[in-house]
Amino acid sequence: MFNTYRRGLFITAFLAAPVTLYLVYVISPYIQAFYIATTDWRGVSATPNFIGLDNFVRLFSDGIFWKAVTHNAALLVLLPLFTIVIALFFAFLLNVGSGGRGVAGVPGSKVYRVVFFFPQVLAVTVVAVLFQQVFRPDDSGMLNGPLMALGLSPISFLSDPGIAFWSVLGVMVWQAVGFYVVLFSAGLASIPRDMFEAAAIDGAGRVSLFFRITLPLLWDTVQVAWVYLGILALDVFAIVWVMTDQQGGPDYSTTVMATEIYRNAFEYFRFGYASALGVVMFFFTIGFAILSLRLSRRERIEY
Amino acid sequence: MTTMTSWTIANSRKLARQERRRRMGPLALLTHLALLLWTVLTVVPILWTFLASVKSEDEIFGAAWSLPATLRWDNFARAWDQVHIGQYFLNSVIVVAFSVTGTMLLGAMAAYVLARYPFRGNRAVYLLFVSGLAFPVYLALTPLFFVVQNMGNVPLIGPFIGLNTHAGLVLVYIAYSMPFTVFFLAAFFRTLPTAVGEAAMVDGASHTRVFFQIMLPMARPGLVSITIFNVLGQWNQYQLPLVLLQERDKWVLTQGIADISTAAGYDADWAALFAALTLAILPMLIVYTVFQRQIQSGLTMGALK
Amino acid sequence: MSNTPHITRRGLLRAAALAPVAGALAACATPAQQAPAASAAPAATSASNPFGVVANKPLEIWIFDGGFGNAYATDIHQPLFKTKYPQVEIKHNSTKEITKVLQPRFAGGNPPEVIDNSGANAMDMGALAQDGQLQDLTPLLDAPSWDDPNTKVRDILDPAVAEFGTYDGKFSVLGYVNYIHGIWYSQKVFRDNGWAVPKTWDEFLALCETIKKSGKMAPFTYAGKHPQYLYEPLLTMAAKIGGNEVLVNIDNLEDGAWSAEPVKQAAEAWAEVGAKYLMQGTTGLDHVQTQTAQNKYQVAMLPSGSWLENEQKDTTPDDFEYGMFAIPDFTASDKMPYGTLHTQPGESFIVSAKSANPQAGMEYLRAMLSKKAAGDFSELVRTVSVVKGAGEGRDLTPGAKSATEALTAAGANTVYYRWRTWYAQLHDEAVAATGQLMSGGVTPAKYVERLQKKADEIKNDSAIKKYTR
Repeated sequence: MFNTYRRGLFITAFLAAPVTLYLVYVISPYIQAFYIATTDWRGVSATPNFIGLDNFVRLFSDGIFWKAVTHNAALLVLLPLFTIVIALFFAFLLNVGSGGRGVAGVPGSKVYRVVFFFPQVLAVTVVAVLFQQVFRPDDSGMLNGPLMALGLSPISFLSDPGIAFWSVLGVMVWQAVGFYVVLFSAGLASIPRDMFEAAAIDGAGRVSLFFRITLPLLWDTVQVAWVYLGILALDVFAIVWVMTDQQGGPDYSTTVMATEIYRNAFEYFRFGYASALGVVMFFFTIGFAILSLRLSRRERIEY
Repeated sequence: MTTMTSWTIANSRKLARQERRRRMGPLALLTHLALLLWTVLTVVPILWTFLASVKSEDEIFGAAWSLPATLRWDNFARAWDQVHIGQYFLNSVIVVAFSVTGTMLLGAMAAYVLARYPFRGNRAVYLLFVSGLAFPVYLALTPLFFVVQNMGNVPLIGPFIGLNTHAGLVLVYIAYSMPFTVFFLAAFFRTLPTAVGEAAMVDGASHTRVFFQIMLPMARPGLVSITIFNVLGQWNQYQLPLVLLQERDKWVLTQGIADISTAAGYDADWAALFAALTLAILPMLIVYTVFQRQIQSGLTMGALK
Repeated sequence: MSNTPHITRRGLLRAAALAPVAGALAACATPAQQAPAASAAPAATSASNPFGVVANKPLEIWIFDGGFGNAYATDIHQPLFKTKYPQVEIKHNSTKEITKVLQPRFAGGNPPEVIDNSGANAMDMGALAQDGQLQDLTPLLDAPSWDDPNTKVRDILDPAVAEFGTYDGKFSVLGYVNYIHGIWYSQKVFRDNGWAVPKTWDEFLALCETIKKSGKMAPFTYAGKHPQYLYEPLLTMAAKIGGNEVLVNIDNLEDGAWSAEPVKQAAEAWAEVGAKYLMQGTTGLDHVQTQTAQNKYQVAMLPSGSWLENEQKDTTPDDFEYGMFAIPDFTASDKMPYGTLHTQPGESFIVSAKSANPQAGMEYLRAMLSKKAAGDFSELVRTVSVVKGAGEGRDLTPGAKSATEALTAAGANTVYYRWRTWYAQLHDEAVAATGQLMSGGVTPAKYVERLQKKADEIKNDSAIKKYTR
């Protein structure tokens, strides 16, 4: 009996502080936000009017928001795809891809691993401001300067609506790759060397080594990576808001759900409507989380 | 494979090595090329920023890769004196130090209980935490402002945790880091063996003691990696401090950088902007390079186990 | 990770069962019910204290820290105010993020007294007006001026101020600076090259051609990242072609206001400039970058406003000699004469109706409108204020002088539009579409069609508050 009591006390004591903090600072504002989504609140009055589901009806015909949703969807596919392919490629080269010393990484692989990780430690706002300068459209731009010196015409990285989205994607991949190189490297390190050796004896080249051994054994890690990157793709905000022209432009070509929420709230002062967009985004994210948990069946992973 | 003798392994290694050396000469070159290319892609924008930070305004608007005529260290002086980058940096360090410590302590406590102690409502509490992963932060900004403002009216401790206080921001950071921390640490605690803890309990150790003296040390790799995630996440946070810290001398680094970047639209001190960017980037790179081994091993162990 | 729980339907339901508990919590996240600001009854009013400022009640001021900085407030306005009310404690603040910093304070019921609600991150005036947050400043207009008890404030101001600051029939926003828009150039460059200020659109195009052929610099640029810098001359030109009602119709969301012929003609004219005469890279550059390019003699002309000279003071060569000219005549049959200008009061000051001390807030604005304060301000930030004659006898810089002369020449032929602040969504659409127009992404016909469609959408959206002029 005493033990049960002690156990209960322990559980309560350990949960009290985190749960209280969480309820007060996270849950209560969000409940308020869900309520605001059903009002016409413009952000400055003390008493918003209840308007039911009007905001949700309205958002169905909001072309810009749906454009943003398609951008998020594109990122959801492309960001993990590019990041994982590039990161797998480098992780493989760094760990098993050496030509010389048996199944080992290329010389200097430690240095590469450290350097590749650099972008990850920079604040997203810093990265956004930095690339705004890198992408400058004239010869003072880091990329266009050399291009123009070679006599080529400059590329409008951020000001051509057909290119801007890819610039955003490029920066996101640039920042993410290093982390996944490290993640996959660790995965590779846990695969017994013998497997590669055996395959190599069978005459497997690097390509088949990669597809026959590396990829299948890393599959679980790849799935984890996909989920992380998927959440990143749904959540993207600062890169778009700070880096792109007209915060999601030009001509809405880079806008995402988060920037539209932000724009509606803090520029149009339509907090009710913005909250409704936020609720929709919440369900998209939950949907993605449930879907990926189901598909990846993480409980099967054994260590 | 297990039946293979060491002789055959050694021999086959040798054979394979020879074979590969013969076949992969040009490929090895391509490998290095690819790696070098990405290295350049990674390092060059950062180096270019450093370069621009010692240029004059004119040179920044001139050819991108020209070297500065004289090194303009006064850019840094301006970034430091007028824009108070040093103060913001210090504020960031203070806030993140406390909030990450708090996050890890409270997060580990909650995750441990939720992972290892079945009780009524366990699943509900767990889901409550995890669902937070799907909340977009900006949705909560305005209501959160009121929460913190109201906290400022709590008797006694109010003045320390209200608006414009670092302690208030620390509490908010802790709360907003809970979903991620609890989600991953709970998963991690579930993978740890139960035997050691049970044995200690039989020997009369309390639940609390088992947690602090046995489970926490065992969970170290997981804790390290989640700590790093939280340090990065909280260090980079911009939206929350922007709303909650309005007084300039309380600002954190991201606010300072964004402010200079916005300011560049009005008074055009681009040189100071690059200097400030450099001041924001350099310490992070140094700290990372010094601790890179711990960080990398911590990260990967936690993420995989 | 052996049994990471699936999020099951039952789990979600159970979580939902917790909702009532959470409902109680939601109370945490609502604005605290502020006790009605214990507004000690205003002191007795008098000619020298027309609003009844209490001698020792504090006053909080937020200045938008943009192109004009905020030194003008701390060094000019506040000391002047203090001479009369030495015991009023002034809490001065400045920010570039007006909205994010101050919006919650309005919702929380304790806004500061005086706000310079300007810049890209300003608060939506319509939302503030709609919620009764703006102090009615009509008493300020009718109060005696700071300098002369026999002159009303109204009479020393540019008449556009009252018109422009009116929301829902109440004068509630004080524009402090008179923004004069036009095409800016270097008088030195024009003189040295023998280029003349163009009076007609054909002359303008010919000049562009001459400059282009000269190979010395690009003819024209604008802040490509912020195409509002270009829709400004486009609309001014439309008004010149079709008369002031073109802009009035646009402001009033009249049917077909955007697809009207004058707007289309102006769009065609500027699209031609976009196709032929822009400096390379223009679409990706912002105002600072393009203006700096002009200072470095890489481009001859750009559209901007009278704040330009101050904004560029650090990069302008000493002998640059800024000059400004009005939009040239499009045809001989333009409805408005040569010299027509787009002017409007800017740098918008408001007093919060629900602040603790609105009386002191209004008195602060009255101090700002004194001849000395406005004159010192003009000199410090090289621009024209809305106080009549405040610039007299002051040393004007070449650009300010040129703009002032253009304003005198324009006389009554000035135009303005207000839809930009009334309908932020329309502004964003116009920005996006204008960028596309200038880079050839849309034809002029499609351009006006697109904006007409957006205007119609806003007109039919019952959730958006409508204004008329």
